[in-house]
Amino acid sequence: MDMMVSTLQQQRAVTEQLRREASIKRIPVSVAVSDIVRFINEHEQEDCLLVGFSSQKVNPFREKSSCTVL
Amino acid sequence: MPKDDPETAGLKKELNDLIAKCKADQEKVADAKLGEKCGDMGDLQKIRFVTKKTLKGHINKVNSVHYSGDSRHCVTGSLDGKLIIWDTWSGNKVQVIPLRSAWVMSVAFAPSGNFVACGGMDNMCTVYDVNNRDATGSAKMVRELAGYEGFLSSCRFLDDTHILTGSGDMKICVWDLEVGRREVEFDAHAGDVVTISLAPDMKTYVTGSVDRTCKLWDVRAEKAKQTFFGHEADVNSVCYHPSGQAFATASEDKTARLFDLRSDQQVGHYKPPGNSGFTSCGLSLSGRYLLAGSDDNTVHSWDTMKVAHTGQLNGHENRVTSISMAPNGIALASCSWDQSVRVWG
Repeated sequence: MDMMVSTLQQQRAVTEQLRREASIKRIPVSVAVSDIVRFINEHEQEDCLLVGFSSQKVNPFREKSSCTVL
Repeated sequence: MPKDDPETAGLKKELNDLIAKCKADQEKVADAKLGEKCGDMGDLQKIRFVTKKTLKGHINKVNSVHYSGDSRHCVTGSLDGKLIIWDTWSGNKVQVIPLRSAWVMSVAFAPSGNFVACGGMDNMCTVYDVNNRDATGSAKMVRELAGYEGFLSSCRFLDDTHILTGSGDMKICVWDLEVGRREVEFDAHAGDVVTISLAPDMKTYVTGSVDRTCKLWDVRAEKAKQTFFGHEADVNSVCYHPSGQAFATASEDKTARLFDLRSDQQVGHYKPPGNSGFTSCGLSLSGRYLLAGSDDNTVHSWDTMKVAHTGQLNGHENRVTSISMAPNGIALASCSWDQSVRVWG
């Protein structure tokens, strides 16, 4: 970690900031990752990258048919 | 070199102790690795996106692309001094906005679709009204936000009346666009701020910097909530995970990473088969795929959970500078030094 501080004021500010960051509550990685996995599983079906388009009607890039409404 | 006075020496010692405490606390909660918790998840196929549209119109390098909230339009900025608003479904240009400065590095589309913003080496952020034209027929310039002491590297609309910016002077600003005044300005990093990503609920955001760190911020505060270490060179791009609990990053150090907010540490480390730096990153709608634009002219993809490379999107003929995922997840837009913009779906 590179903390270049030149004045006392800056040193105080940096140290205060680290005091704040050091005191946060951290949860276990296992719990955090489980929650992310759950989110992904819940949203899998909406993710086009995973499941593709449910039907060609919702695919905006499909070739349009030649009929037009006059 | 003069010896530190007692207070400075005391603060420095405390600082080092705090840094050590942070590291120790992070290690204490590191009770699992990413790959271990997703045994039940199916394996991913290689990425199936192909180029659906090639958008041609810019006549110089394209540096930045951003989707509108409607998942249909996107805006690009190029060194040819133009912003182009595209309809990605038809491939047509909807508007071409000539800029006062050609040195555009970053663009943003308001989620509402009503405004676009851009900025770069002109040290300004300029906002245009998509729905109103000026006397020459171009989108009306509504704000020129000046006063930066460095290049504008990144901007994101909080809504139609507020914009968040990151700049080469290491600061973050929030502007009130209705009155054209800076609401907030503060030192954010120890180096250029180069990228910003807003949380899905818009209450927090993440920044990345050439100081190799990423920081998490509350939109209403001026002090960072958390700082994330891990990258070994400039962080070029950050992207909030759709779960709101993590964010992905892409770096000059040739890796992409995933950082978890609540355990306050890096949990994923993604390397490509080759050896190129990454310029930009994005995540699919569920957050299962991580995508990163690269110096090697392709967009790499990984399974974020199983930490496996799942292929590359080939097509661009030069560095991919920026990518943007459509908010509804149906497509990815990428832009490149090859002057083109591609829509993958």
